[in-house]
Amino acid sequence: MSYGQVNADVIGTSVAGSNLGAGNASIMKNRLINGDFKISQYNGTSSVTPTSSGYQIDRWNFQLSQSSKYSLQQNAGSVTPPVGFANYLGITSLSAYTVGASEQFGVFQAIEGFNTADLGWGTANAKTVTLSFQVYSSLTGTFGGSIRNSGTSRSYPFSYSISVANTWTSISITIAGDTSGTWVGATNGIGLYLTFGFGVGSTLSGTAGSWSGNNYISATGATSVVGTNGATFYITGVQLEVGSSATGFEYRQYGQELALCQRYYQYIQTSASNDRLMVGNSYNSTITTFIYSYKVTMRSAPTVAVPNLGAVLNENVAWYIPTSYTVSATNVNNAIIAANLSSSGFGTNNFAWWGQTGSSVLTVTVSAEL
Amino acid sequence: MYKQIKDKLTGDLLPIIQRVSDGAGIPFDPDNTDYQAFLLWKSEGNTPQPADEVTQ
Repeated sequence: MSYGQVNADVIGTSVAGSNLGAGNASIMKNRLINGDFKISQYNGTSSVTPTSSGYQIDRWNFQLSQSSKYSLQQNAGSVTPPVGFANYLGITSLSAYTVGASEQFGVFQAIEGFNTADLGWGTANAKTVTLSFQVYSSLTGTFGGSIRNSGTSRSYPFSYSISVANTWTSISITIAGDTSGTWVGATNGIGLYLTFGFGVGSTLSGTAGSWSGNNYISATGATSVVGTNGATFYITGVQLEVGSSATGFEYRQYGQELALCQRYYQYIQTSASNDRLMVGNSYNSTITTFIYSYKVTMRSAPTVAVPNLGAVLNENVAWYIPTSYTVSATNVNNAIIAANLSSSGFGTNNFAWWGQTGSSVLTVTVSAEL
Repeated sequence: MYKQIKDKLTGDLLPIIQRVSDGAGIPFDPDNTDYQAFLLWKSEGNTPQPADEVTQ
């Protein structure tokens, strides 16, 4: 019986030509999170027309120099996803907009430095990576995007072709690691940006296929999706892995992918009357203080908000509707939040729950996005 | 627009800022992008609203 051989980052198997590692490992192969767009805490399955840049689907940050030029939605247009996938990101252009030289429309994922440090970028030992994805558009032509460092002083514009409209097309792009520039190492900062352009101006576009010292977001000559009213652009199965060839998409269990997303953003809401999210006690008749523990440890001390105030239950006797809330502490594990009441039956140090009564839902959002 | 927060026991300012538009609490953590946005807003000459006085 033969056994495998273990090298630095490759585990050989007893099957000739079959290895684990160096792009074939099944753990942390894909440096992207939610590359198949199955987690959608921000907007669920609703269509959104962003008016400013920001996160709209987990781990994906949408950029726009002008408001309302495109809408986005998980599974927009309800086309059949490519084989092996249930979800995709769908972009729909809402006008025929001519992108200015310094304007940009697109979506990026910022990958945390802890998950890119081993790439060794910025050193002589920089590893080659391969980007792969499936794309579907009403447009044909050359499209573009880029990889950049956190300081946006290094960029690698890439291009890819869609030759048949309204058909899922598999794309694979191999990128030699950058041996120059400053790349964040093993920290909770931004390791790299991966961007897909929907319309990027000439000043922010560069020659595809080589590293540059400029902040290029896309490739020169790339098709502008926002330039055609009603144009659609769908994408899924996005994977960035070590190695010079694309391997199969790294499927993760739903709960695993959700937990990975929750390191950056959590949306928690009661689902029925009498649901409770927090326990605490009263400071006096108008302030009741709670500790809220997050689902997973956050990337950094997060911003905490309570967009729906729910209700506070006093000693299992009576519910009171808060008028506002105050976050007095937040760290990577939990937050202290006060529910402010105009009046209540609370005395000092009464036991309290914070949750939902009737249709008064309680929602908590926690954000430590990059 | 932002507002300072005081500890209701000691009356001391807390290392957290409230975003007035939605009441969100933003920690003084340089890795927090909302805190970075607050610092940028402040560097443009803006001043946060003072905290409410603490009443016992």
